[in-house]
Amino acid sequence: MFCEKAVELIRELHRMGDGQLPAFSEDSIRQVLEEMKALYEQNQSDVNEAKCEGKSELIPTIKFRHCCLLRNQRCVAAYLYDRLLRIRALRWEYGSVLPANIRFHMCAEELEWFNQYKKSLATFMRSLGGDEGLDITQDMKPPKSLYIEVRCLKDHGEFEIDDGTVILLKKNSQHFLPRWKCEQLIRQGVLEHVIS
Amino acid sequence: MDTQSYMPVPPGVGLEENFFSLDDILLSHQRLPCRTENAFPRLGFLEKSSETPDILEGTKMEMPLWLAKGLYERKRRVLSVDLPKMYREGWRTVFGADPNVVDLHKMGPYFYGLGSQLLHFDSPENPEIAQAILQTYIGRFRRTMDSSQNAYNEDTSALVERLDFLERTLFREGQSGLNSFQQWERGKAGHLTASSLVTNYRKRKINELQE
Amino acid sequence: MDPSEVEFLAEKETVKIIPNFSLDKVYLIGGDLGPFNPGLPVSVPVWLALNLKQRQKCRIVPPEWMDADKLEEIRELERKEDTFTPIPSPHYMELTKLLLNHAADNIPKADEIRTLVKDIWDTRIAKLRLSADSFITQQEAHAKLDNLTLMEINTTRTFLLDSLKYMYKLRSNLQPGSGKSQDY
Repeated sequence: MFCEKAVELIRELHRMGDGQLPAFSEDSIRQVLEEMKALYEQNQSDVNEAKCEGKSELIPTIKFRHCCLLRNQRCVAAYLYDRLLRIRALRWEYGSVLPANIRFHMCAEELEWFNQYKKSLATFMRSLGGDEGLDITQDMKPPKSLYIEVRCLKDHGEFEIDDGTVILLKKNSQHFLPRWKCEQLIRQGVLEHVIS
Repeated sequence: MDTQSYMPVPPGVGLEENFFSLDDILLSHQRLPCRTENAFPRLGFLEKSSETPDILEGTKMEMPLWLAKGLYERKRRVLSVDLPKMYREGWRTVFGADPNVVDLHKMGPYFYGLGSQLLHFDSPENPEIAQAILQTYIGRFRRTMDSSQNAYNEDTSALVERLDFLERTLFREGQSGLNSFQQWERGKAGHLTASSLVTNYRKRKINELQE
Repeated sequence: MDPSEVEFLAEKETVKIIPNFSLDKVYLIGGDLGPFNPGLPVSVPVWLALNLKQRQKCRIVPPEWMDADKLEEIRELERKEDTFTPIPSPHYMELTKLLLNHAADNIPKADEIRTLVKDIWDTRIAKLRLSADSFITQQEAHAKLDNLTLMEINTTRTFLLDSLKYMYKLRSNLQPGSGKSQDY
């Protein structure tokens, strides 16, 4: 049956219900587009035949192929759209710099889209709260205190805090840091929030 | 609780589909027993058993819901759609007697979704089908709710095993409400945690390395 | 909503404290605070009360309803009535947790209060489930949830809304021709 490849794309995303981004299936997309091209060309010639030679019995077949074209179109559009939803989520979970292995899963247009999204979000945040701007990706939960205790889960190198002091984030070291500086690193799994 | 930034397009539920919903696309991929009321010239290769170049009139074949919906017309019959067995009278009686004993996952997994979509095909039994799926949902609701609200910190796979896709969604929502409240009560709500997306990526990477 | 956000809102409720320091009136966007005089009771938002308490700058006066006898009455009434009874504070659950965790020494019969509030909560949640079930079985078109608090609604919001939505959609199936025709 037609459209099997297209639904494979959807299944692949559906299996990762938590929002992970699988590698962009360039090859499958190409195959779907090829199928669509073939369907379109067959329909073109059948439409001509039906018109010129009055072969109205071809109409159900034309309609059949047309449904398949629309189905393929829907699957590809939904695939691309759902991936954009996932890519947008990455900006909130990882911050503005994505790890290489995730960027590797995106196609050129998606990378471009991510950069544009990043930019418009940054422009929006700069427009908030006076001259300083406001980082709305911070404080996803209401803060209880300005400083929190954190433990390093891996070596992360040097890290500068507000007052200019530089601290070394070494595996298993423990620090008392401004909460807003750590939130991103905790989300990325570099630091762990310690509750006494 | 983990704040999920990825929110997929929800399914339409009922007669309508959501164009971009992955769930609705998979639902509309469910196969229905059909009979062609017209020939489809030059498409014979789609039918494995046929040796003619055409799909002949009166051929019995399974078609995905999306195709049946696309081809179906009230005025000019191109094909007729048979009811899958779980929507026929026999099974409707079983559901009517005790909706809780049925394994809707095995029957479906989109029992309510597919049942609603079938109503597009003007069957004389439509009113009974619509009534049967509504009553099944109502009859099973209490159990879905109770199991989702009572299970805390335990393996829930046995609880969801026999639930339809929609019921599973409800189950997860009930669980997440319960879990985040319990977390808060135990003083864990202010705890900042790694994004579940990040941890799952890491798990997958480890799995890939081990393969 | 995350429960921590509900708790955050609860911290805006006011509570009486007896400070042990002096400070002139403080002018803030959210309203003026103080003046503070040692030994003189003053109303402040809960977040400030807890902060001062942690730094041993004050004693917290528990809200009037946070009293074992009063709560016992509420519990009995809640168990007797089929509907939700009016509760003395829209944030009773959060305030109980906050005040008992940080200022138990200022609250008489703290342990008893903890149990009573938990009993009231459990009774109300059980009622909430019972009414959710009857909404569905009786195929109600709309739900009225009087006297429920934000935290209570919050634990069941998505579940309740979606279960009613699914019921509504499946019920609309009964009216043929109500669905718009779609081309996909």
